[in-house]
Amino acid sequence: MKLEFDANLCRGHGRCYTLAEDLLEEDDEGYVTARGQIVDVPPDQVEDARNAAGSCPERAITILED
Amino acid sequence: MTVTDPAPGGETIADRVPSGCPVVHLDASPPLEAGSHWQKANELRETSPVFFNTHAQGYWMFTRYDEVREMYQHPEIFSSESITPWEPEPVYRFVPTQIDPPEHSKYRQLVSRWFAPNAVKRIEPQAHEVARRLVTELAPRGECDVITDFAMRLPTEVFLALIGVPQADADLFVPWVEDFFAGFGGDLAQQEAMGAALGGIRQYWVDVLAARQDDTEEREHDFVSMLLHSTVDGEPLGDALILDILTVLVLAGLDTTRGQLGYLFRHLAENPADRRRLIEEPQLIPSAVEESLRLYTIIFGDGRKVAQDTEFHGCPLSKGDMVYGLVSGANRDPRVYDRPDEFIVDRRSNNHLGFAGGPHRCLGAHLARMVMKVAVEEWLAVVPDFRIASDTPLMERGGGAMMALLSLPVSWEVSA
Ligand code: HEM
Ligand code: SF4
Repeated sequence: MKLEFDANLCRGHGRCYTLAEDLLEEDDEGYVTARGQIVDVPPDQVEDARNAAGSCPERAITILED
Repeated sequence: MTVTDPAPGGETIADRVPSGCPVVHLDASPPLEAGSHWQKANELRETSPVFFNTHAQGYWMFTRYDEVREMYQHPEIFSSESITPWEPEPVYRFVPTQIDPPEHSKYRQLVSRWFAPNAVKRIEPQAHEVARRLVTELAPRGECDVITDFAMRLPTEVFLALIGVPQADADLFVPWVEDFFAGFGGDLAQQEAMGAALGGIRQYWVDVLAARQDDTEEREHDFVSMLLHSTVDGEPLGDALILDILTVLVLAGLDTTRGQLGYLFRHLAENPADRRRLIEEPQLIPSAVEESLRLYTIIFGDGRKVAQDTEFHGCPLSKGDMVYGLVSGANRDPRVYDRPDEFIVDRRSNNHLGFAGGPHRCLGAHLARMVMKVAVEEWLAVVPDFRIASDTPLMERGGGAMMALLSLPVSWEVSA
């Protein structure tokens, strides 16, 4: 599974990197560093990744199933 | 309910209300029994996704999650020129609140680092100190009013610490903010005190600016000094803009955090099982904070001004119309949330709009979350069991501004 982060929609709510802290990081302004990128999700972090994607108020995160 | 007659000759906004759009007359300003505003939002949302409200000059209301998010995410249609639906032509223009993209991002970039998670983490130890001091002072009394004795003082001191001015000046800011919001709901008896409070806040920042005016170098961890040494489009900001930004921060940040904390503490006072759970599993506190922002949203609704003619979910919006997105309706929308009216401590996929969305996403969201988390941690460590000490129902300020409990008396056993 992968997560895709929409660069234009992300507004730095910080829900994703708080809920999936082993997978994601924030930058100095509070945006997720993966803004505009696709991130591979290791099997043991699938649950956190789903929670992160579902918790983004902008729907900036799309889950790409394998 | 009926639409008032249009003025002779002129077509009013009410004439454009299509037959499928229900008409209501709703003024959300008066204080009501606590919880009434969310109940009203629930009723409206389940009746229709859109309404025309004949309150004031008349405005459209969106009641469901998707529509409210869409409103926030499309500033090219929904401008922030006015965010108060019953006041389409405001005489003031607050920065960054009422600036639209693309200009808006220049001001956000200027201040966003100061309120980003990394910056907020830097002052978390100070927040713990303040919260611990306040709770330790209150504990032997066995009772207090959470709203006035704790929930207002804590965010104020932490905010002042983050800005880099003396925390003790909370003695000034607490009464100013109280007086300002007492008058904000339109209570005429309070207008004079409200004006005086605003004057006090502005003069405070004038003095802070004056003390830094001749600095050749930027002071460390000093927000005002940072603004004085910053530029937008190659130009210094100027005193008027800096004063405006500082005033917006005070008015946007302190009363809101107090209001949100009040509802969270009311919930904890009434729900011993959730209290227990947070004591046993403190790692769930951030999740409980998010759930309180969703379920107990202090924003009844948020306004925008239509910037271009648009057909929106069956409503013929015209340039200049006002719209009101019911955030309180969105955050309990059963189309998005399971068991929407329940407080679920460990709720997953909680994408609430309590801090808005789109470009104007609350600048202080990371700060407010940290303060709320610290408040719960430090309170429960000292006062694990407490209950509401009032025989009469709690009242909340109306949703014309932000909802907030007017008082929250609680009591607890004091061990001898
Ligand atoms: C729990 C507490 C808080 C809640 C529920 C809250 C809610 C909101 C909401 C809904 C907005 C969007 C308004 C709009 O676009 O119409 C907003 C904007 C804003 N908030 Fe907060 N807020 C809180 C705390 C804070 C704090 C602590 C600060 C800073 C000290 C702050 C500063 C701001 C600023 C500056 C804006 C304007 C942002 C912009 O227009 O770009 N807020 N807040
Ligand atoms: S939760 Fe959404 S908006 Fe917030 S940082 Fe993550 S992707 Fe961006």
